[in-house]
Amino acid sequence: MRTVGVVAILAVAIALSISMLIARDAVTNKINTVRASTGNTITVSPKGFFGFSGGGTPLKESVVTGLLSIPHVTAVQESLNEELTSTKTSLKSPTPAGFLGGQFGFGSSSGAGSSSGFGGSSSSTTFSIPVRVIGTNSPGNAVVGGANGGGSEKLTSGAAYSPTSTADVAIVGSTLASTNKLKVGSTFTAWSAKITVMGIFNAGSTFTDSNVLMPLSTVQKLANASGDVTSATVTVNSLNNVASADKAIVKRLGSAADVTSTQATTEASLAPLNSVKTISTYTLIGSVIGAAIILLLSMLMIVRERRREVGVLKALGAPNRSIISQFIAESVTFTILGAIVGFVVGILISSPITSALVSASGGSSSSSGFVRRAGGAGFGAGGSGFTPPTGGFSNRGTGTFHFGGFSNTITQIHTSAGWSTLVFALLAAIVIAALGSTVAAATIVRIRPAEVLRSE
Amino acid sequence: MLKVENLDKTFHTGAGDVHAVQNVSFEAKGGELVAILGASGSGKSTLLSLLGLLDAPDRGSIDIDGTQLANLDSAGRTQYRSRQVGFVFQQFNLIPNLNARENIKLALEFAHWPKADRNRRANELLEIVGLDESKAERRPAKLSGGEQQRVAIARAFAAQPQLILADEPTGSLDKATGQKIVELLREVATTQKATVLVVTHDEKIAKKADRRFEIEDGVLKEIR
Repeated sequence: MRTVGVVAILAVAIALSISMLIARDAVTNKINTVRASTGNTITVSPKGFFGFSGGGTPLKESVVTGLLSIPHVTAVQESLNEELTSTKTSLKSPTPAGFLGGQFGFGSSSGAGSSSGFGGSSSSTTFSIPVRVIGTNSPGNAVVGGANGGGSEKLTSGAAYSPTSTADVAIVGSTLASTNKLKVGSTFTAWSAKITVMGIFNAGSTFTDSNVLMPLSTVQKLANASGDVTSATVTVNSLNNVASADKAIVKRLGSAADVTSTQATTEASLAPLNSVKTISTYTLIGSVIGAAIILLLSMLMIVRERRREVGVLKALGAPNRSIISQFIAESVTFTILGAIVGFVVGILISSPITSALVSASGGSSSSSGFVRRAGGAGFGAGGSGFTPPTGGFSNRGTGTFHFGGFSNTITQIHTSAGWSTLVFALLAAIVIAALGSTVAAATIVRIRPAEVLRSE
Repeated sequence: MLKVENLDKTFHTGAGDVHAVQNVSFEAKGGELVAILGASGSGKSTLLSLLGLLDAPDRGSIDIDGTQLANLDSAGRTQYRSRQVGFVFQQFNLIPNLNARENIKLALEFAHWPKADRNRRANELLEIVGLDESKAERRPAKLSGGEQQRVAIARAFAAQPQLILADEPTGSLDKATGQKIVELLREVATTQKATVLVVTHDEKIAKKADRRFEIEDGVLKEIR
């Protein structure tokens, strides 16, 4: 009965230890996965500017290009976001204003820094959504997906313009092309200039596919925004250097810009998981120490109860090592029995315990701030790189963390017990059992047999 | 041949010094059954502990077949207990989770007998002490007191020691069984050519011995 009790207590301690070990491994793996998926880019935008919305003063291209002189910065991609109202272009927006457009009064924007967008005018029945233009020297998937919060756009026809192009050319989204019956070689007017369509892209999003990409200098010239940029993506040579580069950029640009890095945002969002990792580590240590103390006290109790047996064994000529070995064998047997039960229970409870720890640490609530940074200063809505600051608007479910463009949910943690974890845990338990029983047996083998046998 | 000279043992207690064994000297030959009579607290069990190296004397020497026990180190004392001396206790002191045969084999294991010979030797001893196969497989709790003491005697003789120390071997048995146990001790002492020292306070048991000693306040005297 006593043996069953000792094994049961050990099983509980081992179950707790193994569940914490599994939880810790799962959280660590998640953290590592998230960190590995974090880009080494930093997004720079005018203070208060967000996508095509907000205020602020455009940044100067020369200043942004100067960021290349900051250590570890390998590339800077600038863009200028503009809106073409119906008076400035022959293009017809493919997006109907609808209730939301009418409510927000889109349509009176006249360019970066001077938008009177949200709530700037009363609702109008003649209102129409403007066509959005991105001036960039890096047309293609990287620019659209990276700097502007888009998804994985692909050219479906034609070709991209040269990065050094200053021509009046554009690649247009497939939805916009369809609405305006544009093909490669077609032309449209923007700011009174004749623009030739070089290519058509598709991103799988109506919002993104309603946009126009043009050479940066062309947009600057036509929009009368010479030298202006509204967004820049700074690439750093290594994830390890993102923090220092971020700091240097903030110092360089001061209060003129919002500087956001995916890494900083990721670390902030990983804080709950780090808390879980810390909790599980301390609980693991505590349960291991607890198991060791239980084992030591149990073995002390057992060897004290068997003093007479030890005395008899010594009288029969048993060497001390033989007596200690016997007690080690017994405690290792207890531990293995406890481990078998504890492993099964621990594996079964590890998943709910991990979920409970993550929930308790606040991992499912505070997503504010993270999303904006991860998505970058992009289009402002709809692209796959954007999730609204509050979970209620997310089209990928509420109450969970999302990584813009990474398709990664922080709280979706998969727990699994690998053989290496179980073998490590079993070996650790056996070593602790052996040490505990050695200490306990060593206290008893020093007795002189005559003392024990005399007092019987 | 056991030769004891000037053996002294004093216990220092809170109530003062207790001279448990005082200047004890005697000799005993192999195959001899020696009885030591004494009242409770007279020092007879202490004398056995000293002879079995379960305790260390303050003074004096013990010699078995030319080996001075005082010169033995820790490993030597352990080896002496496993090979040259056997104990029979009043409370039997068998290992409870081993059966009768395993208890005997345990003594052989400590004496480093070859593994292949242990079973044969254990069966031989079980036959000598009159326990059949069905009893050999039983744990101590399933044996009577007399049967347990027979197992204890078999265990004591297992490694063919020169000296058997029996401390009140009949103390927990009825008279008839006690008589049989003493006869068994005498028989085995003769066949195994071992010196058997039996500590008892029973005159009838003592009368079956070849020689008798009386111990009182630690002082040993032979009864002629």
